[in-house]
Amino acid sequence: MPVYLDHAATTPVDVRVAARMADILRSETEYGNPASSSHGYGDVAGALVESARTQVAAAVGASAAEVIFTSGATEANNLAIFGISHYYRERGRHIVTARTEHKAVLDPCRELERRGWKVSYLVPDKEGLLDPAQVAAALRPETVLVSLMHVNNEIGVVQNIAAIGAICARHGGAWLHVDAAQSVGKCPVHFASLGADLMSLSAHKVYGPKGVGALVISQRGDSGGRGRVQLTALQFGGGQERALRAGTLATHQVVGMGLAFEIAAQISSVETARVAHLQQRLWQGLAALGGVLRNGSATRSVPHLLNVSFEGVEGESLVAAIRRQVAVSTGSACTSALAEPSYVLRALGRSERLSESSLRFGLGRSTSEADIDVAIATLTREVGRLRKVAGAMPAA
Amino acid sequence: MNYNDLTRAYFESDASAGELTGPGVFRGAAGNHAQGTWVQFDLQLTAGMVSAAKFLAFGCPHTIAVAAWLAEQAVGGQVVPQLPESVQALRDRFAVPVEKMGRLLIIEDAWLAAVIPALTIARAPT
Repeated sequence: MPVYLDHAATTPVDVRVAARMADILRSETEYGNPASSSHGYGDVAGALVESARTQVAAAVGASAAEVIFTSGATEANNLAIFGISHYYRERGRHIVTARTEHKAVLDPCRELERRGWKVSYLVPDKEGLLDPAQVAAALRPETVLVSLMHVNNEIGVVQNIAAIGAICARHGGAWLHVDAAQSVGKCPVHFASLGADLMSLSAHKVYGPKGVGALVISQRGDSGGRGRVQLTALQFGGGQERALRAGTLATHQVVGMGLAFEIAAQISSVETARVAHLQQRLWQGLAALGGVLRNGSATRSVPHLLNVSFEGVEGESLVAAIRRQVAVSTGSACTSALAEPSYVLRALGRSERLSESSLRFGLGRSTSEADIDVAIATLTREVGRLRKVAGAMPAA
Repeated sequence: MNYNDLTRAYFESDASAGELTGPGVFRGAAGNHAQGTWVQFDLQLTAGMVSAAKFLAFGCPHTIAVAAWLAEQAVGGQVVPQLPESVQALRDRFAVPVEKMGRLLIIEDAWLAAVIPALTIARAPT
């Protein structure tokens, strides 16, 4: 198998997490419905879920009562955006987001536009960063939601959420939703300090299982007199999760997420320092090729992501050339046989060609110096070969 | 994207990649880098036969593989005013998705741009 450098897409499940989940699946006492309160089986499962809720909350600086389990960050984003927009639809029908958000935010916003809502799409600077003043300028009296990600999933830049949160609080009518799927374990995340009202989380980005995530919903009162943030549920059926997300919780999934978040919180600082060293090694090795451009801010980003464009090579050929040696994500989305250049990189001002010939390296716990060296050697060989086949590039 | 074995083999081989110079060399190119596909062929003619052929290609693996295969196939053959195989046959041989048919037409344009002047010279009365 190729070297795995796609940890931003997903991570392998931590062996401790997998073992605990398997224990629950095999257990003769932990299989109860966590919502069943009429017998001990339900009590046991319910206690496991609440323990996991506490673990998740502790890892992100929230209280357990603020955590609603979902099927993942995509569902959490949908619940936040549609839940807020429906509940506050009489107050206003305007949302602020950014062009570089994940599709799990952009697509719900586009659906709201089809329903008559107005959406302002902020454009980041060429390093991928938003100026909080852009948010302030975009807010209108009828704005009910600002939805911005903490760490960008393609380029790893970290937005100044705390400053944006303060702006939203002063506005008095706009709730702040933060997609933090890429943040946990990569940089400090403290829900209350960020000033966010809602925050989406994913387990499988943090060495937990796929199929589980959470939406953190603030329970603090707002100094501007808005009270607590309220949502309309999107699915109904059993009143679980404070009646915001009906459906029987998968105990083993939730427990896996809780343990994964607890482990991430324990080792985050040491691991981030180790990964930063590897990222630097990777960047220096690739930069030595020449004609290699780094995408996104190098200083305000997590070290777990490195996104680079390679001049003089075509994107699909670059991916085909390295895929047997290195597993990475590309700067294009293959919707058919023809690739679409990354809209995130296009928003940063990169050309179509450079956007397509970009690679996202996602470093993680299993990444070693040897893996980095394989990636550098592979890219050096294959980029050199493709450039030779392409001949001299015309001047831009 | 998946590629058939022939596409992968010719994509990964750069034996015919490069340029030719000197007398009897005819060059043709088509496409452009900004649009994502550019192909160039150099054909060297000796006594009406292709004695050497090279290609350069900026494009997807199918584009590179087909161009490499054409350059290899050309050596030792006569110059004729068409591809050694039709575009449809090349598409079948390399399992090129229909969305990429335009890229095969660029390859054909580059090929003809090299072949037609060569043919004119080869047929010119001496």
